[in-house]
Amino acid sequence: MNEDAKTKFLKALRNDIKTGEYQKVFSGLNRISMHTDDFLMQSKYAALFKAIPKDALALGEVRIAILATGTVSHFNDILSYWLAGEGLSAVIYEAPYGTVHQTILDPKSGLYAMKPDVVMIFTNYRDIKCDIPAGSSHEEAERVVKGAVGEFISLWHALRQNSDCYIMQNNADLPFHRVFGNYEGTAVWTRLNMLRNFNLELAKSVLPGVTIFDLDHISSAYGKKKWHDSRYWYHSKHAFALDATGLVAYDAAKVISATRGACKKCLIVDLDNTLWGGAIGDDGLEGIRLGNGPDGEAFVDFQKFLLKLKNRGIVLAVSSKNEEKIAKEPFLKHPHMQIKLDDVVAFRANWNDKVSNIKEIASSLNIGLDSIVFLDDNPAERQLVKSILPAVSVPELPEDPSNYRAALSSLSFFETVLFSGEDRAKTAYYRDNIKRSEFQEHFTDLSGYLENLDMEMTTGDFDSFNLPRIAQLINKSNQFHLTTTRYTESELKSVMEGDSSHCMYFKLKDCFGDNGLISAVILRKQGAETLSVDTWVMSCRVLSRGAEEFVCGRIVSQAKRIGCKKIVGKYIPTKRNRLVALLYERLGFKKVREGGGSTFWELDLDENTPPVYRTFIREAGKECI
Amino acid sequence: MDRAENDIKKRLNRVFRETFGDEKLEVFETMTAVDIDAWDSLMHVVLVVAIEKEFGITLNAAEVGKLENVGMMLTTIKKHTRK
Repeated sequence: MNEDAKTKFLKALRNDIKTGEYQKVFSGLNRISMHTDDFLMQSKYAALFKAIPKDALALGEVRIAILATGTVSHFNDILSYWLAGEGLSAVIYEAPYGTVHQTILDPKSGLYAMKPDVVMIFTNYRDIKCDIPAGSSHEEAERVVKGAVGEFISLWHALRQNSDCYIMQNNADLPFHRVFGNYEGTAVWTRLNMLRNFNLELAKSVLPGVTIFDLDHISSAYGKKKWHDSRYWYHSKHAFALDATGLVAYDAAKVISATRGACKKCLIVDLDNTLWGGAIGDDGLEGIRLGNGPDGEAFVDFQKFLLKLKNRGIVLAVSSKNEEKIAKEPFLKHPHMQIKLDDVVAFRANWNDKVSNIKEIASSLNIGLDSIVFLDDNPAERQLVKSILPAVSVPELPEDPSNYRAALSSLSFFETVLFSGEDRAKTAYYRDNIKRSEFQEHFTDLSGYLENLDMEMTTGDFDSFNLPRIAQLINKSNQFHLTTTRYTESELKSVMEGDSSHCMYFKLKDCFGDNGLISAVILRKQGAETLSVDTWVMSCRVLSRGAEEFVCGRIVSQAKRIGCKKIVGKYIPTKRNRLVALLYERLGFKKVREGGGSTFWELDLDENTPPVYRTFIREAGKECI
Repeated sequence: MDRAENDIKKRLNRVFRETFGDEKLEVFETMTAVDIDAWDSLMHVVLVVAIEKEFGITLNAAEVGKLENVGMMLTTIKKHTRK
């Protein structure tokens, strides 16, 4: 849609606002808005979005404090708009202009009063104090860089003392102008190299719960010369080109959403003209373009890029209109094929429509449609999936495969603020799971299957080694999550050090492999004799294998050990966690109360017959690190 | 008022309507932020950017600061479009 068409469309949406068709306005905005659109278009999206009453859309609240050294009022509105696209309704606190330090250092400031989930410290290169005399030594340069970074580290510590918020700190958007010209890339003491070192040092210094917002990348991608259009800096302290506001707000919204655990987990790809040039069914193994020729090389590089995504934990699946045997041929025999069948967790080459294939893949992997990205070179297929499965992300692919990588990358689908070793092994986990279900087909009864799985559970108390994975599990689990709690790593640290809380994690192995850390439980002692289940999350990879019974058994023994006579738990319903609505009932708890959709459960340990949970899981003993 | 001038005023009026979302708005030369409720410093920036885009011109920082009424806007636009 070109800009004139968009402007007309917006006019129509303004009328829909008047008649109260808010959902229609919002989905209309989502359909036409691009983060690359210019400042005026972004302002229009933001203004229309602002006119929608907050409770008209089912969005989860996120509280954000923005502490900026430039003018960010426009940015805030546009950020709110893009956050809504992530399912979040932003409450934004904007610190008075130029009061970053004062606001953070004053425990009584409005910042802390608003109880932010995320604090964005929003600076620009002008704020970084690392000018040193030309010709200074390496040691001197290093000292000054460390000092400049230290200033921010102390702000983070000060924030930490008063808040459990997630901290987003941007790095320096390197300037366009250079005093020494090309030589600024040579000597360490030049402004440009000092700022480069500042950015690296800043990254090295992050604490748990701090993430670097890579403003320098955004400015480079946008183009330094345009980015540093200083007219509106001198006029009204806008730190970067107004037309880049959409790009910055979009990426910030993705990162903020990632701090809440939202993420894409699976990339479903088409084959013909997506992974290779031509159609395998028509052109045959020798006829497809892969490896040789300009676009053949582009497809190889695109496959390498997808493999790198797979290696960081995004699982790959295939949906293609083909005969399965023919579609698999390149994977087995083509010398330039980078992706092998082992890299793919679900392979659907058939003549069904792609919507059914995608739904099937989602349910076989036990993931939500909103964690799927679908890649297809065919606009008709994309349109079909978009219109029937709006939760699936369907990026436009350019005509030329040379630009596939950039197209996928520029949409920032796979943002994360954490990386754990578990991510690397994710494809193996999912693949083993599919083997398990094939294995299950050999058994006529469930207990025979479970027994032969030869499962072994390792349990332990939360520790700093496992904390990144635990935080990830708590923040990313939607289906098996009873209480909707979310904790940052630093919040978890204070929880696990608290006297009244008991935090356990569980790791499961079986004959097919290691499932890794699959469950975490936070228990809090209430009064002398009650143990309350604050948080219980479990990976859906291990459902229906007795793991929930095993975990509950450990909760019971923990309760007994510390002299509790009662365990209380609650279920807060969300769109995604119906799976566990009756979990407590299944585990022998009694429902004691209902209210606001939530249910409250109790297990009395004083009764004559305390529950015994039968599982086929061996205990490996406590893990000690 | 010659035709070119009239044309500029018409286009400027359209920019105002679009920016403030008011289809009935009519600009006049002495009109300032006092005359439009929504015209605050924030909207001023949006308005100036919209003018730059409509007329395909790039104002310098000093000019941006001086555009306090419609008359100044017309003069500045004329100056830039004559070049």
